[in-house]
Amino acid sequence: MDFTFTAEQLEFRDTVAGLLKTEVTSDSIRARWSTDSGKDPALQEQLLAMGVYSLLFPESLGGLGMDAIDAVLLAEACGAVALPEPLAETMMVASPLLVDILNRGLGNGAIQPIIDGVMDGRVNVAVLHPINPYLNFAADVDWILAGSGDGLYLLPRDAVNLTPAKSLDPSRRLSSVEFDPSAEHRVAGGEVGAALLRASLNLGGLTVAAQLLGLSELLVSQSVQYTQDRNQFGRPVGANQAVKHLLADVAVQLEYARPVVARAAYTVGVSPERADFAVSHAKLAATRVAQLAARQAIQVHGAMGYTWECDVQIAAKRIWALSYEWGDEGFHKNRIHEWLLQPNALLGPEYTFGRRSLVG
Amino acid sequence: MQLEFSPADEQFRNEVASWLRDHLCGEFAAIRGRGGPGDEHHFVDERKAWERTLAEGGWTCIGWPEQWGGRGATIEQQVIFNEEYARAGGPGRLGHIGETLTGPTLLAFGSEQQKQRYLPDIRAGQAFWCQGYSEPGAGSDLSNIKTRAEWDEQERVWRFYGQKVWTSLAHESDFIFVLARTDVSQRGHRGLSFFLVPLAQEGLEIRPITQLTGTAEFNEVFFDGACCSPEDLVGEEGDGWRVAMGLLGFERGVSTLGQQMLFQVELDEVIRLAKENGASRQPALRQRIAEAHIGLRTLRYNSLRMLSGEDDGSLSREAMIYKLAWSNWHRNLGKLAMDVLGPEAELVESAPYELNRLQSLFLFTRADTIYGGTNQIQRNLIAERALGMPREPRGDA
Repeated sequence: MDFTFTAEQLEFRDTVAGLLKTEVTSDSIRARWSTDSGKDPALQEQLLAMGVYSLLFPESLGGLGMDAIDAVLLAEACGAVALPEPLAETMMVASPLLVDILNRGLGNGAIQPIIDGVMDGRVNVAVLHPINPYLNFAADVDWILAGSGDGLYLLPRDAVNLTPAKSLDPSRRLSSVEFDPSAEHRVAGGEVGAALLRASLNLGGLTVAAQLLGLSELLVSQSVQYTQDRNQFGRPVGANQAVKHLLADVAVQLEYARPVVARAAYTVGVSPERADFAVSHAKLAATRVAQLAARQAIQVHGAMGYTWECDVQIAAKRIWALSYEWGDEGFHKNRIHEWLLQPNALLGPEYTFGRRSLVG
Repeated sequence: MQLEFSPADEQFRNEVASWLRDHLCGEFAAIRGRGGPGDEHHFVDERKAWERTLAEGGWTCIGWPEQWGGRGATIEQQVIFNEEYARAGGPGRLGHIGETLTGPTLLAFGSEQQKQRYLPDIRAGQAFWCQGYSEPGAGSDLSNIKTRAEWDEQERVWRFYGQKVWTSLAHESDFIFVLARTDVSQRGHRGLSFFLVPLAQEGLEIRPITQLTGTAEFNEVFFDGACCSPEDLVGEEGDGWRVAMGLLGFERGVSTLGQQMLFQVELDEVIRLAKENGASRQPALRQRIAEAHIGLRTLRYNSLRMLSGEDDGSLSREAMIYKLAWSNWHRNLGKLAMDVLGPEAELVESAPYELNRLQSLFLFTRADTIYGGTNQIQRNLIAERALGMPREPRGDA
């Protein structure tokens, strides 16, 4: 039984996080707000060179052969700088779905070239799951893997109709996507299609949960800094218990959400058929702490907190947006209590405290 | 990351489970699941006999070194023991203060003579201990201790004057460890010393304090000339604060998983009741039941993570926040239980004031967010020590 990450996992995370911290500043994010693409192409090149886009592809396909546990650390690092680009989604949702399709012998030979293209940065793929009404950064994708009913479709960019929509978060570039679910683009349907979409939903939920942890961490550190610097009544405002306790509550929820997300990543990796509960738990826990972090961060910044100038809005608005992606609170809570309160639910310490593992 | 127990640990788990199955029966069948919070006044003699049976089987003090009768059990094995103990319905442990606080303190700070004198009886389930820290004027501000220890040159003993309060299980114990002021010219954490004091003696009076539940788990302990020998001073005179703080660090959380298994039993009862009386059809209650369920799992993952780190005995950041997390969860469970019961929640089982298990849970959990450091004090510690926020100026009083 060991909940810790390995030194190699942490080292890789630190390398990528170091680059992100240097390159993704609040100034660079604000600079993106005034561009159409909303992206920093130079950063993309650097991330590509580090192998981040090859992370979850197996070594047999030329990838790095890492797993969801490695990837959640990186997704959290993306959140910790409020990275606007959908790196985590490409890495953790689109890549495994491509591999899954390939391994099932589906896709009529189209998948291998796409995978190669993703790894060398020529091809951009996004996943449009029916649970998400909008797709982020759709304008420059080459391929969209889209779900409709239990069907999964592989669509080239010119086979879909994009209508831009403005996000509350100036870092996001949303579109609604229309497409014709025709046999020509169909990759899978029936039970296989449903299974692929369900796996994507769980990976999507996990990806967002990990980013929400990073975003919460970012707000806590911004807030701690501000409450040390800002003086009133002749001392830092952070010396007051009423202010301290707001942030202590965030710190507790944040620390407590971390292993929930780690455990969901572990379950997705070793026992994906049992991942629904773990991912819903992770998304709920991460959303809860992130929402609290956004609220308390604005509160402890006082009047500064609700200005456009204050950088708190960058992470806070991302949190508000991500809370609804890949299933909102109601969706994930329903998945849990529908299971928990069914007449034959297996309850009792015997089941929650499984003797062998935490994966159940 | 590796979220399974090793085969060797699984074998240990089977050994614990089968021993408990073979022994927690017959004369001990009646105490299964008894003696927990709100129920601690029941079956005291039987539970002391059970401690001796546990000891004969080698299941007390398993984390102690073998030299002192322990098994030198790893953290994982201690976790497993506590889980299986709770799973088997093991009764509330009367020996836990001696085992988890007195013992490790003496192993770290005690003299050879103190170890020889006290450790074997704790290990054998023969001597029971309580903790003399809090006082009427020293609660959250523990260093404000006023109880005095005076050296009696004629009798060559230390004599105690003052009062301790909130002393859990003092009325069922044989010894108390006392933090007392040996140098009254000093204030705060200076001038304190740490003593081992027998409870059954002249000049020492124990008065139970009745709680919201109508039961009495803790006490006031009055000292008016009670004494201990010079050999029962732990560490140097004036070194008490260091010993006392070291002691608080020994509880690394191995018992938290057993505690959580008891929480699961309580939650299951709430869910069973909700299904039975129709409360589970109310959307608002369904949501809260789901919250409670995932909240408990969150506590479990965090405890396992807390125990995953380096075994250097130091408290990690997540260990520091455990108290705040579980106490809020448990308090909310008590309220959920009442809301699931609905109007039935008001009716006591029988006169004069016999509560059912859920009522007792509800009332007892109001204490959880207070004892052992209130939630407000916990948040101060987290903000100042974990987040590095500015310290609050202290008053001069």
